[in-house]
Amino acid sequence: MSGERTVAYPAGDTLVSEGVIAPARAGRPAPARAGAAGEPLVVVEGLRVQFTRGGRKVNAVNGLSYRLEPGTMMAIIGESGSGKSVSSRALMGLLPPTAKISGSIRFDGRELIGLPEKDMRELRGGDIAMVFQDPARSLNPTMKIGAQITEAVRLHSDLDKRGAHARAVELLKLVRLPAAERRFHEYPHQLSGGMRQRVMIAIALAGEPRLLIADEATTALDVTTQAQIMELLVELQQRLGMAVIMISHDLGLAASYAQHVVVMYAGRAVEQAPTQTLFANVRMPYTHALLGAIPALDREPHSLFDVTPGQPPDLSALPKGCPFRPRCQYATDTCLQAPPLTEHEPEHLWACWHPVGAGAGHNSANGEQR
Amino acid sequence: MTATATTPRVPVSRDPRVSRLTRVTGSPVLRLIVKRLLMAVPIMLGVTILTFWVLSLIPGNAAEQLLGAEATPEDVALLERQLGLDQPGVVRYLEWLQGAVTGDLGNSIVSRQPVSDVLADRLPVTGELVLLAFLISLVLAIPVALLAAHKPGGIMDRISMVVSTLGLSVANYVLALILVLVFAVTLGWLPAIGYVPLEDGLWANLEAMILPSAAIGFPLFCFYTRFLRGDLVDQMQQEEYVTTARAKGVGSWSVLIKHAFRNSSFGLITVVGLNLGALIGGTVIIEQIFALPGIGQMLLQAINTRDFVVVQAAVVIFALVAVVANLVVDLLYAVLDPRIRYGSR
Ligand SMILES: Nc1ncnc2c1ncn2[C@@H]1O[C@H](COP(=O)(O)OP(=O)(O)O)[C@@H](O)[C@H]1O
Ligand code: SF4
Ligand SMILES: [Mg+2]
Repeated sequence: MSGERTVAYPAGDTLVSEGVIAPARAGRPAPARAGAAGEPLVVVEGLRVQFTRGGRKVNAVNGLSYRLEPGTMMAIIGESGSGKSVSSRALMGLLPPTAKISGSIRFDGRELIGLPEKDMRELRGGDIAMVFQDPARSLNPTMKIGAQITEAVRLHSDLDKRGAHARAVELLKLVRLPAAERRFHEYPHQLSGGMRQRVMIAIALAGEPRLLIADEATTALDVTTQAQIMELLVELQQRLGMAVIMISHDLGLAASYAQHVVVMYAGRAVEQAPTQTLFANVRMPYTHALLGAIPALDREPHSLFDVTPGQPPDLSALPKGCPFRPRCQYATDTCLQAPPLTEHEPEHLWACWHPVGAGAGHNSANGEQR
Repeated sequence: MTATATTPRVPVSRDPRVSRLTRVTGSPVLRLIVKRLLMAVPIMLGVTILTFWVLSLIPGNAAEQLLGAEATPEDVALLERQLGLDQPGVVRYLEWLQGAVTGDLGNSIVSRQPVSDVLADRLPVTGELVLLAFLISLVLAIPVALLAAHKPGGIMDRISMVVSTLGLSVANYVLALILVLVFAVTLGWLPAIGYVPLEDGLWANLEAMILPSAAIGFPLFCFYTRFLRGDLVDQMQQEEYVTTARAKGVGSWSVLIKHAFRNSSFGLITVVGLNLGALIGGTVIIEQIFALPGIGQMLLQAINTRDFVVVQAAVVIFALVAVVANLVVDLLYAVLDPRIRYGSR
């Protein structure tokens, strides 16, 4: 741990973290990163997660694949129940023992599936951290904020009690929690929703993660607070150089903040592209439907509406071929074959036989255009 | 970006336990105490009136019991007059009540001893019995529940399930007899019956109290184990803060003990407090079996001799214990649970 950590820093929130976290970042063995230049930080391949519930098999994740470059922000979006949370919890090794997991998750070249619990625990809250949806329930109601942060700090550093305290207060300042020193001694219920989520982020940052997963981290917050938290995440991501996976059911939110988008349906990725590319040329009919469902300005924020007609897929009895077929207006007999997720255009992957607006030439599975 | 300082404070009181205290303004703790004590008044009145009435329904009175079967009706009538038993029930009750509210619980009809002296002798015995029973049950239940909850469905969980099911289905007097048979009669480790006061040595006293406390404490242990194990598993599987703790890299035992148990302990306190009333009832039969000179034994004897003054005293004590136990549970909550402690600022 760098000694500069506990050095006094200039007052004023914006400067707080300069020289606080950055040196530690720089102190991380650089070669590992330089050597891995161009190598993705996370490679998920053919990930499957199956639960057994009441004798029925629930296929929560069905061959999910994606890549995540270090230091970037990627959004995973999809309707509720599409396997976003389950797949990210698989990455953290947080699924219950009843979950049957197969496929591959490589983090920095290391296979995480089947990793012994001891090693997994070191990664958890260390290199990989997570922020959850409901900040009211995610913090331990009977522990002071400070204790919950120092617990994380001490697990991933060799700081003593006093050092951990100082570090925890720094983290609270880093996430711009007003009156950090005072809040340190308060309980979660004494904070507003936005403040609690800042505390959650501070906890997540305690282990200096290289990957932060924010699972619907702003869904439970009001619109203003939501924007503040998202901006904080983007700022931290850039300043600390970590990769962020933001999980959301809100394509609009993803469009505003993420550099890359993965669209999930029925436990697999159905379209994936850099945000600009995706929104310029939406190909997969399901993404198209989601896009049509982005709230217009005259709509109530967060109002519920049908994404697309039809039932969300039954994960115990997925249709043959393309899972979206029963709800898809473009479906043909070809769609009885499962469309593979293929890079049809540079950096733009989709899994569909009849992509929207891609012209007749795209009807084949390996239509590498341009 | 504006700081969240401007975000309105959202009071969280989803927890039903919170509202109980936060609704009252001012000093919540003081209010609670006053409220409970006021509530205790009608409870005490009701319980004592009921006891008095039920006793009057049982055939025979103290005079007949004292004089025995050979007594002539004249003798009985004379004694009845001397004891004041010829007065109408309402008058006798009101007389007793008048004394009771000034702290004078009267004299035993049978022994003429002041009831307060009798209580001073007997309360410590029952108190020790109850205390030891709680101690035994909790000291065992907490670690067993933690072991069971660490791996639901695992070997420890299954063993504890079988044992606690057994323990809950056996009546405590049956258990008492089994304990006596095994530890006193067969093994000869402990005395079968009898009481040794604390003044005669701690060990001798404990030797006499172990079997009766175990007879009361074992079913409690089973009950607490079940309850705590269930609550811990719920916390571990359903509560998001547990996932947060695990996501931090906290080990499974630490999550269980530092996080889940901390939250489960509130439920446990409630259950223990609510149990106290029923537990006191259980002492009656156990004191009888083990010949312990406690309140329960006193109550049974007093019922047999129709000594309504002593019966009333026992009933008042039992009801008071129940009321105070509930109050203490709520106060403990107020002290231990930060949501309540800071909830009413
Ligand atoms: N522990 C579990 N046991 C059984 N089914 C589960 C479990 N966790 C999640 N699921 C199921 O997996 C599916 C995907 O859930 P999830 O990943 O939470 O969706 P999302 O986060 O995209 O809304 C859902 O149908 C859900 O019911
Ligand atoms: S593959 Fe067929 S069913 Fe599936 S989304 Fe494309 S057009 Fe629709
Ligand atoms: Mg989810």
